[in-house]
Amino acid sequence: MPASLRSNRFILIALLPALIVFVLFAVLPILWSIYYGFFQWKGMGDAKFIGLGNYRDMLQDPVFWRALRNNLILVVSAIVGQIPIALAGALLLTANTWFNRLIRSALFMPMVLSTVVIGMIWGYIYNYQFGLLNQALTLIGLESWTQAWLSNPKLNMYAVSIPINWSNIGPYLIIFIAALQNISSEIHDAAAIDGATGWRKLVSVTLPMIWGTVVVTIVLCIAGSLKAFDHVIVMTGGGPAKSTELLATYMYNSTFAVYRYGYGSAVSTMILLISLLLIGINMAVTRRKSS
Amino acid sequence: MKTTIAPPAAGSAGGERSRLRRLIGGGALKLVLLLYAAGTLYPLYWLFISAMKTNEDFFAHPYSLPSEWVFTNISRAWDLGNMGRAMLNSAIVTSVSVALTLLLGTLAAYVLSRFQFRLHKLALGIFVIGMLVPIHSTLVPLFIFMNKIGMLDTYGALILPYTAFELPIAIFIVIAYLSSIPREIEEAALIDGNGWWGVFFRMILPLCKPALATVAILAFLRFWNDFAFALVFINSQALKTLPLSLSLFSDGYGTDYSLTMGAMAIAVLPTIIAYLIFQEQIMKGMTAGAVKG
Repeated sequence: MPASLRSNRFILIALLPALIVFVLFAVLPILWSIYYGFFQWKGMGDAKFIGLGNYRDMLQDPVFWRALRNNLILVVSAIVGQIPIALAGALLLTANTWFNRLIRSALFMPMVLSTVVIGMIWGYIYNYQFGLLNQALTLIGLESWTQAWLSNPKLNMYAVSIPINWSNIGPYLIIFIAALQNISSEIHDAAAIDGATGWRKLVSVTLPMIWGTVVVTIVLCIAGSLKAFDHVIVMTGGGPAKSTELLATYMYNSTFAVYRYGYGSAVSTMILLISLLLIGINMAVTRRKSS
Repeated sequence: MKTTIAPPAAGSAGGERSRLRRLIGGGALKLVLLLYAAGTLYPLYWLFISAMKTNEDFFAHPYSLPSEWVFTNISRAWDLGNMGRAMLNSAIVTSVSVALTLLLGTLAAYVLSRFQFRLHKLALGIFVIGMLVPIHSTLVPLFIFMNKIGMLDTYGALILPYTAFELPIAIFIVIAYLSSIPREIEEAALIDGNGWWGVFFRMILPLCKPALATVAILAFLRFWNDFAFALVFINSQALKTLPLSLSLFSDGYGTDYSLTMGAMAIAVLPTIIAYLIFQEQIMKGMTAGAVKG
């Protein structure tokens, strides 16, 4: 057998298994969900073609809009909570001392914990009767503030967002530390000669130098909010009365609890469209940054 | 405290006093950092001390160390709540998926980095585009697909999607690593009479060990902690993985909080141990994963 044929066969046999598994379980499902999204189907019997009916229902469902709004709350809470905390932490932890490494490791730790465990622990922290939060408030004399944090529809989305942000700070911290360490020492020297120190240096030298990174992290916050699912399912299940529903939990709850597979496929497609839109914006922003 | 904001030593007159002030300021900042780190670790610490308490102790003194250390919560959770079974399921699903990801991922990465062929760009493009697919939007169609082919409620229902979604990251990590290895060594081995398979198994796999370690650790964390796939694709009690069993644990033992805490402690311990050993790789790898995926 000629060598080129032999290498062709090797290429085929080595590449195909990965390609087949990937296409079958990650790429084709997207096409199926687009297809099923046009049908009304209970999982058994015949599927009925209803065109854009599912999408019309979705846009008329107040719960869908509630879910979208809750995803937005997650984005905003990540941008005003995660990014400033991670940036401040990175500014203090830039140098590679053993102390700083220890603190970095501690702050990154929640990333490796099971999201189910994180959700359950925080469920206990927020618990009305024995929760740590209410006990702490009682201890410092703020008994009137104690309440059922996950049931109050005015507060529970914010309560849910705290553990999600808390557990995801690690990567942002590392991204900012890498960006800060990339600022060349000449720039620090120049700033020192110009007499820029402290806050002044932060605002007029350091922040502009890493602004591109800040933009990237904001985009990551937006994309990250679409991935939120586990914490909410565990802590509230999207309730009470759908008040903490997110797009992903809305997809789950409106498919598997009520056997509306066509509708669930349409919601899945919607999530895909929204995240592609965000990726498009992301690429436009980063391209402008680099040009 | 050395930070990048602090100016290089001023060394001017009155330097003594400003140095003292900087020292105190630096100390205060260190304290703030320590407190924040302690706050981050506190829920975990609380989990472990609560797992060692009796229920009465848990309600009466939620903050303090156990007044009497009990280890029965963990052993009871293991027996009563089927945590042993769940641990075994998680171990099987995770290890098979990691092995499959490593094998398929490295093979594909080797081909994509060393060979030029007609559909090269297309194959690479599929993996790049696939990285953009939000995992949750595949739950419903995958459920329908697996239902049709009778795959729901099997180990395969988790192993194949896990592998599929980890493949792009695995492939790109290995391709990046292979690009730093000169091809001459392989060509010499090929002339020595090893076929492509021989080169792959005898040279490439051992050479890629550092990259494979990173891939394996990241994959382990992702598979071990996965909840969404298990929730949708697994129904039978005998196949439930740890996170899924835990989330349902409160249905049966909802008021036995110490027992539930014991079960949670069992679930997080393996990942904490992995983290303590492989911190640097995990921090770098997960950060890169967050940026790309």
